[in-house]
Amino acid sequence: MIVTRRSFTIGALLAAGTAGWPVFVKAQGTKTIAVLFDGLYSPFWVSGLEALRSDLQGRGFEMVEAISDQDDNRQFEQVKAMLARGVDGIIIVQTDSNAVIPAIREANRANVPMVHFNRPPAESDATSVAVQADNRRITRETVDYMVKVAQQTGGQYKAAILIGDLGDPNAIGRRDGFFDVVDQHPDLIEVVARIPTNWNADQAFAGLTNAFQANPDINFLFTSSDFLFPQITQVMRVADKFYPVGDPNHVIFGGFDGDATAYELMKDKYLDADGVQDLFYEAKLAVDAIVAMGEGEPVDKLLLDPGFAITQENMAEMQERMWGYHVFQSKG
Amino acid sequence: MSASAVDRATVGTRRPGLLTRLFVSEYLVLYLCAAYFLAILPVVPQMASFAVLQNVLADMLPLLAVAIGQTFVLIIAGIDLSVGSIIAMVSVAGASVMTGDGGYLGGSALAVPGALVVMLGLGAALGALNGLCVTRLSMPPFIVTLAGMMFWSGAAIWFTTFHTTTSSIANLPRGFVVIGQGAALGVANSFWVVLALGLAAHVILARTVLGRRLYAIGRNRRTALVSGVPVGRAVVLAFAISGLCAAVASILYTGRLETGTPILGDRILLDVIGAVVIGGTSLFGGKGKIVWTVFGVLFLVLLDTSLKMLGMSLFFVLAIKGAVILLAAVIDALRTRMLARGL
Repeated sequence: MIVTRRSFTIGALLAAGTAGWPVFVKAQGTKTIAVLFDGLYSPFWVSGLEALRSDLQGRGFEMVEAISDQDDNRQFEQVKAMLARGVDGIIIVQTDSNAVIPAIREANRANVPMVHFNRPPAESDATSVAVQADNRRITRETVDYMVKVAQQTGGQYKAAILIGDLGDPNAIGRRDGFFDVVDQHPDLIEVVARIPTNWNADQAFAGLTNAFQANPDINFLFTSSDFLFPQITQVMRVADKFYPVGDPNHVIFGGFDGDATAYELMKDKYLDADGVQDLFYEAKLAVDAIVAMGEGEPVDKLLLDPGFAITQENMAEMQERMWGYHVFQSKG
Repeated sequence: MSASAVDRATVGTRRPGLLTRLFVSEYLVLYLCAAYFLAILPVVPQMASFAVLQNVLADMLPLLAVAIGQTFVLIIAGIDLSVGSIIAMVSVAGASVMTGDGGYLGGSALAVPGALVVMLGLGAALGALNGLCVTRLSMPPFIVTLAGMMFWSGAAIWFTTFHTTTSSIANLPRGFVVIGQGAALGVANSFWVVLALGLAAHVILARTVLGRRLYAIGRNRRTALVSGVPVGRAVVLAFAISGLCAAVASILYTGRLETGTPILGDRILLDVIGAVVIGGTSLFGGKGKIVWTVFGVLFLVLLDTSLKMLGMSLFFVLAIKGAVILLAAVIDALRTRMLARGL
């Protein structure tokens, strides 16, 4: 066989390339946890992934991560790929609480523990553990404060609520928490707009724009997630509704999550109250659960983060517990 | 005779080398699959495990069903961008018929057969509607199916709200779920379904008058028309077959997830068109085979699975897939040019 200069060069390049391959091989003896998110479309999820990464690495785990981009089938395939790869546990944020059930069954069959981070699955015979904020109670606390402000200010209120994806139990909990409170005050508050967002910022923008056009007198607004604040404040500015607390044109305004934008809006007095999920605590609960399940210890099916509502009244004392405050501070 | 003419004459009679023959072979993508598999093994040794190979096959099958339908449409120089939305619409329509949570036929013995009839019928009807818009209204397939993609995606979400307070329809009967999850004779049920679909599609394209007409339309529509080919009817049939294949994929996806969901297939389009193009079916029509599509789907799923096993980010996976599809298009153009010049 005649070796030409070209074939020698190609061969040498291939040899050099293959020589580097073993460095990618997983270190032996380290436990690996797969962290599968459906998307990183809000600061909550970005910070949540970082909190999990930091906690897992701090405890000596190797972490592999994958994003399914809100594709149920792709996430199912990712779960199967991770099981085939031989991971020791899976922490998952699923797109749909029903469609994740077959993935849990796959994990059960492989005897790999699965923990749902911040979003529980639908009821089924499959075994897993969910970490979830007490959405309904935290929302009630938040809206209670908004109603208190309304009562103190006086007058009648036209309310709007931005509702999340109703396939997500968190969205349902927050919606129910909102109505638990406003339904008790029919003389004070009339809900004139229920805006579906499906956790989609464009949909929220269009829905709120339409709501303000149909009801220009909306003066009580709650969003089921803080990640919609940029769109909401933009719509409020255009509708001439964006005024701080104390201004006669101020819209009583509340949100949910506790992100950095919420902190900034609270600091600048545009936001009256915000339901805060204790993100770092939830990450710790998830990793604790994976470790315990891996060691065969029993773990409750639902681990609840009690969370809290931060308001203009208690902000000074509570902001240290708000994860968005720390993100805001770290940005300088 | 000039020197260059002598060279051309010599080249014309010389037997092409092994690499050239491999490059122009219709099995090139299969060889690439084998080469890629061997190359990735040292990095991801689990790829050779039974579990991963099983995953590759299971992930291939629903995608292959949609890609088979897309092959028909690409052969007539069309494109069907609405397959993902058809999958979603079919999924929620079928689920609404059979769900135990208040489905139209929920709890009855007719639930599963009724749902299957609705799913297959709806898929074929939506595909035929695309075809009718293309032929009767002389609209470009790109615009028709793009509009269909948007309309049916929205309609699927809207339809779902009538049947559940959540975003998906669950509690599907076991008799349906088993189509996507169960096995017969030790092989997944979905394999038998897609095998039957693939064989039928191959026979239609390779052995029937309709197949010859579809290739003729793809090569030159006007010539086909002048030659007496009923172009309109054949185009409608091609789109109807694409819709039907999307419905088969929807049955498999819905079965494996045990849920009718309006976002099913939302992000499948790149994979479908990519797989068909990688296989070698031409975007310009007149060229394509079912077996090529099988190779294309296999290559894409192998690539996808290996990158998943490596823990690559979704965005990296998408970038690599995009690059591979572009490379496939370039290779196709080069091969076509080489074959036109007699190698």
